[in-house]
Amino acid sequence: MIGEVSGESGTTETENELLLVEDNPSDAELAVRELRRHKFAKTIHVISDGAEALDFVFCRRAYQSRSFSRPPQVILLDMKLPKVDGLQILAAIKNDPRTCAIPVVIMTSSAEQRDLIESYKMGVNAFIQKPVDFDDFCKVIAHVGTFWLSVNKPPPREAFGPDSPAK
Amino acid sequence: MKSALSVVPKDAEKRLAQMEGRYRGLLEAAPDAIVVVDTAGRIVLLNAQAEKQFGYLRDELLGQQVTTIIPEGFAERLLADALRSVEDTLAQQIGGGIELLGHRKDGSEFPMEIMLSPLESGEGMLITAAIRNISVRKAAESHLAQMERRYRALLEAAPDAMVVVNTSGEIVLLNIQAERKFGYHRDELLGQQVKTIIPEGFAERLLADALRSAEDALAQQIGTGIELIGRRKDGGEFPIEIMLSPLQSSDGMLVTTAIRDITAHKATEAHLLRLNEHLVNGNALLATANADLEMFSSSVAHDLRSPIRQISGFAKILSQDYGQQLPAEANKHLDKIAHGAKQMGCLVDDLLHLAQIGRQALAVQPTALSSIVAAAVEALLPECSDRRVEWRLGKLRTVACDRGLMKQVFVNLLSNALKYSRPRDPAVIEVGQTTLNGERVIFVRDNGVGFDMQYADKLFGVFQRLHRASEFEGTGIGLATAERIIRKHGGRMWAEALQGRGATFFFTIVPVE
Repeated sequence: MIGEVSGESGTTETENELLLVEDNPSDAELAVRELRRHKFAKTIHVISDGAEALDFVFCRRAYQSRSFSRPPQVILLDMKLPKVDGLQILAAIKNDPRTCAIPVVIMTSSAEQRDLIESYKMGVNAFIQKPVDFDDFCKVIAHVGTFWLSVNKPPPREAFGPDSPAK
Repeated sequence: MKSALSVVPKDAEKRLAQMEGRYRGLLEAAPDAIVVVDTAGRIVLLNAQAEKQFGYLRDELLGQQVTTIIPEGFAERLLADALRSVEDTLAQQIGGGIELLGHRKDGSEFPMEIMLSPLESGEGMLITAAIRNISVRKAAESHLAQMERRYRALLEAAPDAMVVVNTSGEIVLLNIQAERKFGYHRDELLGQQVKTIIPEGFAERLLADALRSAEDALAQQIGTGIELIGRRKDGGEFPIEIMLSPLQSSDGMLVTTAIRDITAHKATEAHLLRLNEHLVNGNALLATANADLEMFSSSVAHDLRSPIRQISGFAKILSQDYGQQLPAEANKHLDKIAHGAKQMGCLVDDLLHLAQIGRQALAVQPTALSSIVAAAVEALLPECSDRRVEWRLGKLRTVACDRGLMKQVFVNLLSNALKYSRPRDPAVIEVGQTTLNGERVIFVRDNGVGFDMQYADKLFGVFQRLHRASEFEGTGIGLATAERIIRKHGGRMWAEALQGRGATFFFTIVPVE
């Protein structure tokens, strides 16, 4: 499923899209609520299934109309996902020249050492353990949103591969 | 010097004079003492060796009864022999020498061997007795016998079965242990092939050893024993260990074989092996169980985190978005939901942390504990900004530890001290090192409410709390975590307290010299 959440009117012309890959709808709702409260992104895409997330990133099937040259400004990726898990999605993104420049932030309940090591070896841009306390969780979401959508300078279009499917 | 031969009585004179020429040279050349006796038992002739052996001058013995120098009984024997036929007498002497004691003039005696030889003469039968002093040989013999007795005794005293084997593989000697172990009588084994009792591969080995130089064989025996199978007379077999030791003897090379029954040893070994196997299996099971448990606890903890966040999150949203429309009572309930969720979140995170310590490898390095304590105190200052706390931080030694985990220990102990000294103004918290019963320990002391020593054993149990949650908040995991970390470092942690008079937590840790 995909949920598109439009930002408030009056956002800038920049295409600050955010992709949230999270299979728990309540967690997704809490995150989206906090992101919206801070008006970080114009559009927040929420995808709850790993295979669909790959379709989104690689502009195929339901997302054929998307373009590799206009990727989301940041992807917030959960680890535990149905079908294709977070680490597999990360690997697919980072191993493809068309997508490897997209900032990916892992947001997970677990902080297993081997997950951390694997993620960083694959080139994750940040790794966040979601706090269990809601207030702390909101703070973390605010930090992540502030950093990746306003503090951080995103990669320019030229950083992404030719606007055509690999195959 | 007088003639070597004198003869009595007169009528024998002529013949003896004839004999003299014939025998004189022969007699005197003989290495033995030679005495010629007539049928009346009188000495009629003797040589220089006889004079020397018995300590008499020739004249003192000539004509005397032979019993002067030879014991009474034997003189009769001499006479008896003389009365027999020449054939009988000849047969008699073939049997080898007769051993007797000779009497010297000075009264001393010596062992001798006599060979008799009859001589037909004109005056009737004469008997030539060749007398050999065998005291030297006797002494050598008795020495040999003594040696053999000692060897024998040694052999019999040995706790092992001992078998002496020659190069043909025949058993030439064995001890009582060997009889017992193999169930044979000594006579049944003597002269038998050693294969009878040690069937496999041993005889070849033995021969090979015996064929080598004594040095090689000696070198060979120094190694550990060779394990083989022994076979009893009843066909039963048992495991043995043998040690070979070569022995150069007049009969050629002999090999002394010490045979040890290693049945008990083998059984113990097998038992140990089985025990070890059990242990290995048990350990594997335990490791699996532990891994399962850790997997379980970490996955439960992880899976709990989301719902807890949702409870606290939606309660918060409810109160933020609709709080004003709700009665005050409903808002209180929402606060309780948020509080409960928060506490549950702490519990889950502490549990996860504790589980992680179990799996985490220690990154041990020399660490100045004082700097760790300073960092821990600094981390805790925000918690007690509204209180008066007197910190007494003594200088601590440098120890080998994992810095991150050791900081956790002090944070947990100090936070515990802060918590239970909350009713005090000022709270006094002391960190120092001392020596208790010769053991160097680190301690954290507070002037808080203390605890009842009766429950001291529950102090470090997970979820164990000695105070009501309404008095002092907490999950009951902090001290358990600190204790696990110290235990993981090879140290111990314990506490002493008096109800209402503060508590002291001690721990040991390996110092860096």
